[in-house]
Amino acid sequence: MFEISLRYKVDSDSESACSNSEAESDEETDDSDDSPKRGVQRRRLKNQKASRTLKGTPRAPRNTPRSTPNIPSRHDPRPSPASHLEEARSRLHVSAVPESLPCRENEFSDIFGFVESKIVDGTGGCMYISGVPGTGKTATVKEVIRVLEAERDEGNLNAFKFVEVNGMRVTEPRQAYVEILKALTGVKATADHAANMLDNMFTHPAPRSDPVVLLVDELDLLWTRKQDVMYNIFDWPTKQKAKLIVLAVANTMDLPERMMIKRVASRLGLTRMTFQPYTFRQLEQIVASRLKGLKVFDGDAVQLAARKVAAVSGDARRALDICRKATEIAEEKTSDSKMVTMMDINSAVEQMFCSPKIMAIRNLSVQEQMFLRAVVAEFQRAGIEEAQFSKLYDQHQILCRFEGIHSPTMTEVAALCYRLGSIRLLLVEPGHLDLSMRVRLNVSQDDIMYALRPEGSSDL
Amino acid sequence: MEVANQECMDSEDFTLGKTVICRETQIKTLLALFGQRCHMTPGSIFVYGHTGTGKSLVIQSMMRHYKLPHIFINCVECSSLRFLVEEILNNLPLQDVSNSEVDADADDMNPDNENFVRCEDLTDFVRTLKSLVSDNELGKETLYIVLDKAERLRSTNPVLLPALLRLQELSGLNICTILISEIVWEKFRTGTGFCEPYCLNFPDYTRNELMEIMVLDCPATCEPELYSLYVNMVLSVFHMVCRDLRELRHIARLNFDYFIDPVKTEECAPSNTRKLWKNVEPHLKKALKSVYLREVSSRQWELMQQAELADGDASQAVVALPRAHVELPFYSKFLLIAAYLASYNPLKCDRRFFAKYSGKKSRRMAKLLKKNERASNHLLGPKTFPIDRMMAIFYSIIDGKVVPSAHIYVQISSLVSLHLLSQVGGDDKISAPKYKCLVTLDFIRNIARTVQFDIMRYLYDFL
Repeated sequence: MFEISLRYKVDSDSESACSNSEAESDEETDDSDDSPKRGVQRRRLKNQKASRTLKGTPRAPRNTPRSTPNIPSRHDPRPSPASHLEEARSRLHVSAVPESLPCRENEFSDIFGFVESKIVDGTGGCMYISGVPGTGKTATVKEVIRVLEAERDEGNLNAFKFVEVNGMRVTEPRQAYVEILKALTGVKATADHAANMLDNMFTHPAPRSDPVVLLVDELDLLWTRKQDVMYNIFDWPTKQKAKLIVLAVANTMDLPERMMIKRVASRLGLTRMTFQPYTFRQLEQIVASRLKGLKVFDGDAVQLAARKVAAVSGDARRALDICRKATEIAEEKTSDSKMVTMMDINSAVEQMFCSPKIMAIRNLSVQEQMFLRAVVAEFQRAGIEEAQFSKLYDQHQILCRFEGIHSPTMTEVAALCYRLGSIRLLLVEPGHLDLSMRVRLNVSQDDIMYALRPEGSSDL
Repeated sequence: MEVANQECMDSEDFTLGKTVICRETQIKTLLALFGQRCHMTPGSIFVYGHTGTGKSLVIQSMMRHYKLPHIFINCVECSSLRFLVEEILNNLPLQDVSNSEVDADADDMNPDNENFVRCEDLTDFVRTLKSLVSDNELGKETLYIVLDKAERLRSTNPVLLPALLRLQELSGLNICTILISEIVWEKFRTGTGFCEPYCLNFPDYTRNELMEIMVLDCPATCEPELYSLYVNMVLSVFHMVCRDLRELRHIARLNFDYFIDPVKTEECAPSNTRKLWKNVEPHLKKALKSVYLREVSSRQWELMQQAELADGDASQAVVALPRAHVELPFYSKFLLIAAYLASYNPLKCDRRFFAKYSGKKSRRMAKLLKKNERASNHLLGPKTFPIDRMMAIFYSIIDGKVVPSAHIYVQISSLVSLHLLSQVGGDDKISAPKYKCLVTLDFIRNIARTVQFDIMRYLYDFL
């Protein structure tokens, strides 16, 4: 043992005088060796680093740079809208959030009051905000914050910090800690360390620290098995000295009861707010507010779009999309009056809401349609919504013989079965099961029969 | 650019320098698909056929004969995605390497080498491949990636096979992926859809083609006519059961001494076909039963052959006993017999076989009982039985008093570890384990004979 360490010393001494290339050969033994002088060691570390980078060079120089995904930048400024329709389209874009959200005044004032009172009192609290997508939850909260920040800048309100975490944007729930810490202090740390630092910061805050408003968007994605992330986020505001105001946003109303353990749910508290889906009048008002001063839409046209959307989901984004699509359709028209009429809205709605499956079935080849018929026939014969491929093949042969068309081989039928599977009209199992593979429909039988009915009977 | 293909097309020679015969159609099709060197080929070609139909041979000798840049990879060796892609990247027939092929293999496979290209995933693979190939002269020609035993690719990674099939499209290079497999393309498909390859079938060799190929390895000491006569004899015995070229060649090589011996000793003339056939036929029939089934190894067969030919007395030849013969302790034998009886006899007739006073049973009743049963238990396979039943049978068939000591129970578990019994549903080892007997009837009869126990009397199926 002693001998070996001695040899190390000799090696390292001679090595320190040597060039980089020799250090490379002794790299592994260096790690276990801690006796030599500091200076030598530091020098050798440097050598190691150099050799390591040498080693990693690939055989051929890469002329294509390692691609990291990024958003392409805009070179030319956005063209200013030329016509009324283009102007309308840019205003109807989902990203053009207006200064004040119409139809959400009550919710706005509730949230505003909640956050403002907490900031003024210097206490912490939680608020849970839920509602189906497209009801303006995030936009309202953002507006509240914007107004509060304007107040703060005018000096009417105490100073506060705003931090935003989106559950969808973090790669892993515990990364939320890192995001929060970075936004608050600008320090980067590992998730564990960040959690500790945040815990410290909120349990023993500096005496004159500012209140923090934390917006947690897409809360359901921060769910972990132990729920420690959610627990911590809702636990910090309950600390005596913490001045943390948490605004949690999620889609489902019963999320605290359904997903959270009792400990977390009780800390979340009962300050809850639900954003109801927009009614058609509200949707109409939203579109109208965006188009203030422009005369491109028929009054009835907007109402139709609003009613269609309100009947299905009440999603404002969907309503705006339909209106935008309708302006595009109106632009293609050759008539002089560039007004968006009810016909345009109607075709836009049809394009966005109709099922593509029936169109797909109608455009399949003859044999593929025949196979779908065979599937339906087999289901009706057996009374089960699942069939083996061998049975379907028999049905296909029989149908082909009835129709008097060429009956394909097993290989061909398997190929078209998998093609139908790959466009998701069928649900198929992997191919190694062969004849015993089971096939199910991904469309209703009525849809198939409706799509495949002969052209003449379409009027009936 | 020198076009090797063109030359060959003109001379109409599709035997690749006489190395591959009887595969003209397939070679023609492949050549037509490959086209000239700078042409784009189909992105992927799927070659399938039975074992021993010359798939790998044709592809490999085509690559070598026309000097096409290629990589040949056996998918059994590359068990994971990473192995496979690193193997491809490190064995690219790059221009500087292809001139001196020798130095390439020696150090490239060592991962510590600084030239070793590392690659973790498919994105990285495609990017590295693109940069490696386009830097080189290789970019001007079609690069062939040949994957043998491609059925293994299905189980490694779900995205690997689709990516390899559209490698041409992904990398934007002139790459052709050739998959060689023994199973049909339908069995490769998954529910998500693929880029379909061009499928090419290699049909089995006919009998005449087999003859033609097998005559090729005629030994130098023998005239080709005589050897083709011999091959014909081999095929007349073996063609019924085996069409595998490799197997047939092996059999022909093993038995050739039997055939040539009378000619050598001038017992009969080479023209006396009838006598030669009479001489070799019993040996071939015997080979079918023993060496073809690998019950006698080829080495043993050769030794037997030498002894036989030297003595000139066939009856003295030692025939190795191929049956698996297991030596077991005395009680283990009885335990195994008991397990076999429990596995193959129905529960309701235990009383009849093993109880001392089974009670009278009329003939009519017995017949009725026999009629109700659906199929022989020996056809359906063994049934599970609880250990209690096995021990009851054991005590009734063994003579004398046996103490139910730990030794007996240890022997049961050692029978399980020898795979003569198997424990079924062994969630609870202590309370009531269930077993199944895994030995064949022949095996158990041998065992029973050694302990003088007439097992056939106790088996319900043979009564």
